[in-house]
Amino acid sequence: MQKKIIIIFCISIFLLAFHYTENVTFFVPKNWPQPVYDFTKNPLTKNKIELGRALFYDPLLSRNNTISCASCHSQYSAFTHSDHALSHGIDDSIGNRNSLALMNLAWQKLFMWDGAVNHLDVQALAPIHNKLEMDENIANVVTKLQNLKLYKFLFYKAYNDSNITGERTLKALSQFMLTLVSSNSKYDSVMRKQTQFTKQEGNGYTLFKKNCASCHTEPLFTNNQFMNNGLPLDSALNDYGRYTVTKNANDSLKFKVPTLRNIEFSHPYMHDGRFKKLSHVLNHYTKGVVKNKTLGIELQNEVNLSSNEKVDIIAFLLTLSDKKFLFNPEFSYPKNSFQTAKD
Amino acid sequence: MQILKYNWFFYFVLMLNYLKAQTNSTIQFYFTYNSKPLTISDSTLPLLDSNGLQISNLKFYCSNIQFLKNKKVIVEEKNSFHLVDASNSSSQKINVAITSKLLFDELKFNLGIDSIANVSGALGGDLDQTKGMYWTWQSGYINFKIEGKSKQCNSRNNEFQFHLGGYTQPNYCLETLIFSLADKSLIDINVDVKKIIDQLKLQEQTKIMSPSKDAVLLSKKISTCFEILK
Ligand code: HEC
Ligand code: HEC
Repeated sequence: MQKKIIIIFCISIFLLAFHYTENVTFFVPKNWPQPVYDFTKNPLTKNKIELGRALFYDPLLSRNNTISCASCHSQYSAFTHSDHALSHGIDDSIGNRNSLALMNLAWQKLFMWDGAVNHLDVQALAPIHNKLEMDENIANVVTKLQNLKLYKFLFYKAYNDSNITGERTLKALSQFMLTLVSSNSKYDSVMRKQTQFTKQEGNGYTLFKKNCASCHTEPLFTNNQFMNNGLPLDSALNDYGRYTVTKNANDSLKFKVPTLRNIEFSHPYMHDGRFKKLSHVLNHYTKGVVKNKTLGIELQNEVNLSSNEKVDIIAFLLTLSDKKFLFNPEFSYPKNSFQTAKD
Repeated sequence: MQILKYNWFFYFVLMLNYLKAQTNSTIQFYFTYNSKPLTISDSTLPLLDSNGLQISNLKFYCSNIQFLKNKKVIVEEKNSFHLVDASNSSSQKINVAITSKLLFDELKFNLGIDSIANVSGALGGDLDQTKGMYWTWQSGYINFKIEGKSKQCNSRNNEFQFHLGGYTQPNYCLETLIFSLADKSLIDINVDVKKIIDQLKLQEQTKIMSPSKDAVLLSKKISTCFEILK
């Protein structure tokens, strides 16, 4: 009896240890706030991240197996749809908004330009069900996954049984997206005192802190709020942003304050992609701001920037590019996972 | 000595299990239209009235079941959510395991999903987002869903769709149902579908598809369409 207990105990410890090594610790960069994502409900593991990555790159998630998440969120453009003002989806449909860059999602509470999505796990449901994006249905996606050897294998590896459910599919997608952390730009090196800004960048940083940082707050370069930055309403789109979700007049024309990390690569800019270049964005802040009731207080007084100062701010913004992130092989198309399926 | 201790523990666990197995309450939902059982299946749907009323889908969430005695909760099924579907008879029966002999005089449950579960991301079991009870373009569970056809509906193909839900104020749509009843192990609850249809006022509206004041009002009315069968 005693012997048996000891053996069982040893086996449990062994299994526990085995599981332990599988776990991936989420790294919080120094001086960053704690993430808002509750990792206890979806602890990261190597195999779940791998599964999520395969799902992210698999066009099977769309009605006719042509569009994957990565179609509108490609790594080289910081996981947005570069050069498309409004995103392109299934059958060449054109959506209503500019795709968002995906990074540092663990620190975000609300998703989408208007905050319509309240948790990263349920984010994928929106594009999957959108008629103009993937035009599928999550129940159907799960059925398709259940019929494929690749996913039986990947789910087995991730969850120790090959039971494929909506919950597991969504949580695995979150796992991959949570790993998309960008914290290795020149700006970050400067903050860690490993290098220095050029004079121009330093001047841009000072101007940025004065004019922009109350909304685009360091270190994430967003205050995670919804604000009106004075863009005139596009009468063809009639997009009132946060108001469409809350139906509260105080939210009219407010949009998510997007991060500015990797901004060099995530053009075009704003919720409808109306600006192609950073210089156009700066001209908007100095000359284009439309005054109305919900305009952010920071912008109620005119922003005065000389053309040299604008160039300096742009030089600073370029220090937010993170090449390690943009070319991290762990985030790219998972050739190996898809290869095992064919073997 | 050591082993003896373990044995006591095993007996204790066994006894607990025995008690647990002994008492089990079952809540059984019935769906009736004009006192006749409502059937929803893949084959042709029956016509329920002279307007050609047909019901193709009727589902709701029953959650946070509590048994009370003198207004005090004596048994509570925490964090459990049941999707009750008129087209699936096994979903209409809910067993609540009870670990002690109890005498209750009230049953309480929520019609819908509370705000905490609504912001908790991907969930499993009956809350799995594949169950068709979740909005996709905007996060949130659908608490109650009824769909069908009637000539009274001034809409495309005379169809109606009511998806009721909403987890934030002022459109928080969660209803709590409370029934006084004598202690018994089988509790039969009738869902009076005729009464629900009358509340919808199909001549005036054929659709609610997102959280709104109307959804809150209608949920209140629908919560009066549940009754204990004596
Ligand atoms: C057809 C293009 C398209 C596809 C396909 C697509 N997205 Fe998106 N994605 C967008 C657009 C556009 C937005 C912003 C939409 C809005 O705000 O209304 C967005 C927003 C997001 C966001 C919110 C980011 C933030 O900061 O709030 C996440 C996360 C995301 N998508 C993940 C995914 C995942 C996962 C998939 C695959 C299941 C996917 N996307 C498929 C276009 C797409
Ligand atoms: C009142 C808050 C506020 C201030 C101050 C502010 N912004 Fe913004 N910014 C926003 C919001 C909100 C958006 C998104 C607006 C939209 O798309 O409708 C945005 C968008 C941007 C974008 C486009 C990002 C993208 O991914 O499309 C850039 C670039 C930008 N801001 C730079 C700046 C700079 C530089 C300054 C300082 C001169 C500044 N912002 C000041 C709120 C602000």
